[in-house]
Amino acid sequence: MAEQSTISAFVERKIDADGFTIRYLEADPQPDGIDAVVCIHGAGGLRLSPMHEMLASTHRVIALETPGFGASPVNERSRDMAELAATLCAAVAALDIRSYHLVGASFGGKLATHMALQEGEKLQSLILLSPAVFRPAERPRMATPEERRKVMHAHPERFPLAPGNPEVDSKQETLVRRLIGPPRDAALEEKLSGLSVPTLVVFGTEDRLTPPEMARFYRQHYGNAHLMLVYDAAHLVDLDRPEAVTEVVSDFLARKERFLVSEQSGVIHP
Amino acid sequence: MKAALFNPIRYSGPSPAGWPVAPSAYDLEIGRRSMLGGLENLQLGDELGFDWVTVAEHHYAGFSLTPNPMVLAGALTQLVKRAKIALLGPTVPILNPVRVAEEYAMLDNLTGGRVVAGLLRGTPNEYVTYNINPAESRDRFEEALALIRRAWTEPEPFGWQGRFYQYRSVAVWPRVVQSPYPALYMSGSSPESGAMAARNHVGLGLAFTTVPLASQAARFYREEADKLGWRPSIDQVLYRMGFHVAETDEQAMADLVESGAAKPHVGLTMANKAVLAGAMSSGYFGKAAEEQKERVAPRDAAERIEQGQILLGSPETIWKQICRVRDQVGAGILDLFPIVPIADRTRRSIELFGGRLLPRLHEN
Repeated sequence: MAEQSTISAFVERKIDADGFTIRYLEADPQPDGIDAVVCIHGAGGLRLSPMHEMLASTHRVIALETPGFGASPVNERSRDMAELAATLCAAVAALDIRSYHLVGASFGGKLATHMALQEGEKLQSLILLSPAVFRPAERPRMATPEERRKVMHAHPERFPLAPGNPEVDSKQETLVRRLIGPPRDAALEEKLSGLSVPTLVVFGTEDRLTPPEMARFYRQHYGNAHLMLVYDAAHLVDLDRPEAVTEVVSDFLARKERFLVSEQSGVIHP
Repeated sequence: MKAALFNPIRYSGPSPAGWPVAPSAYDLEIGRRSMLGGLENLQLGDELGFDWVTVAEHHYAGFSLTPNPMVLAGALTQLVKRAKIALLGPTVPILNPVRVAEEYAMLDNLTGGRVVAGLLRGTPNEYVTYNINPAESRDRFEEALALIRRAWTEPEPFGWQGRFYQYRSVAVWPRVVQSPYPALYMSGSSPESGAMAARNHVGLGLAFTTVPLASQAARFYREEADKLGWRPSIDQVLYRMGFHVAETDEQAMADLVESGAAKPHVGLTMANKAVLAGAMSSGYFGKAAEEQKERVAPRDAAERIEQGQILLGSPETIWKQICRVRDQVGAGILDLFPIVPIADRTRRSIELFGGRLLPRLHEN
């Protein structure tokens, strides 16, 4: 990660919840009064991006590792996404977080949506990055590392995804395939209109895995969704254009729906 | 007095509430008919003797299909042969002011000097449209106004190192036909805007307000101008209101009820709570914010008549309503927009106004 600082604000910790030992990365807590930001990773597993580091300068940021990902044992216990989401909600409760913002990426976007349905008023906002709740029937080819890189990144020269461990990747892929559900999940869609939490849905304009054409479904189904397209970014929006993503995410964390009305000064010279 | 016929080119099909409205609700054929119908009405207004025809700028909803009034005015230059074409107007703080100056200059040439140049701040939701901070609206506006005037009058290329705008060189071609430039109007319902209009010698437009509030605003504007040693002409106060004329009062009210327009409606400002909250906290409405909100509060038809927001009835009834506006607001120009969205009734209303009311209005 050529441009990324090697000094991270995050430390690794573990918490027991719902019968699982869950690894998480946490940035040093900020003073009281600022709600925590809980992040749920995608199918590739727990990773930090410059977005997480930038958010950590203003918020307590906790990136949870979903049971069955990374070095954790194979997860054969969670029967569906709702159950896995309940486990993560239990982890949040075990961390004594009473009010928080939830950020979910890709597969984690669907998981975060299930969490949001369970958390009610505890949740201040929901932010979905390239979420996989609605997906096209066809997936682009990702048989080789080069094909995968092209699907994931529009700008791999900026913050390229680190190569994975084939054994871990295979374990994670099996879990994701078992749980993620169909590209259109009727049972979930039925519940979404009741989801009134302010929701920001972010897509890269060059995303071929969850293409930006999916974005409209979030507006149509979620109770309170705002769409943001990030120009010239692919599926890993927070690695392709982290500054642009962090700016809008931070604004949404601070102001929710009122992020619509700009507070940026246009003054060039006073 | 003079009368302007304003048409916001409202989308005539069903349109969901709120702002912004999803483009998926737009029907191409209905949209096309709405635009052509609006153009026909404005052309009819010209033929019947209305002094001006007026267009405006609004975005992202069926309330108005003219996000760029310059484009519609361009079309009108080929249809409207006599009346002035007023743009009330481009929402200046969200636009490129040099572009505004250039487009006005084009229109002034195409009409042979029949353009009226409104320069507005617009409704707060429009600041979301191009992501401009509404807290800076007034300062942006005042700088843009100075820049536009300079762009119209400066004979040599000039640079502009402003607070909000920066240009290395500005040299507008074509030049404006009217000398020194077209008549200027800005909205002035708040004391801050009224004072700004007075100190910049710009005409005052009062829209989507009430007669009592407009009277107060016009008086304030004249007092401010007086302090600065100038007196606005009667034509420099414009009052915009809805109208519907029928043969009888009963028929006019029946038309309004049939069209569904008799019910209180929520304006663009109130249609999105988050935007309204953002606008309030930005200071957009100025110091008298609650009073400004009151201007656009939803009202039923009887209240709108009572508050002087609409003219409704037979020509005789409407004449009395006009006299009240003239006497209380002192407006020299009434900017009138149709409020019954039924094509044949609107046409008849424009014809009745043109035939029965315009001659009397012009004598006063």
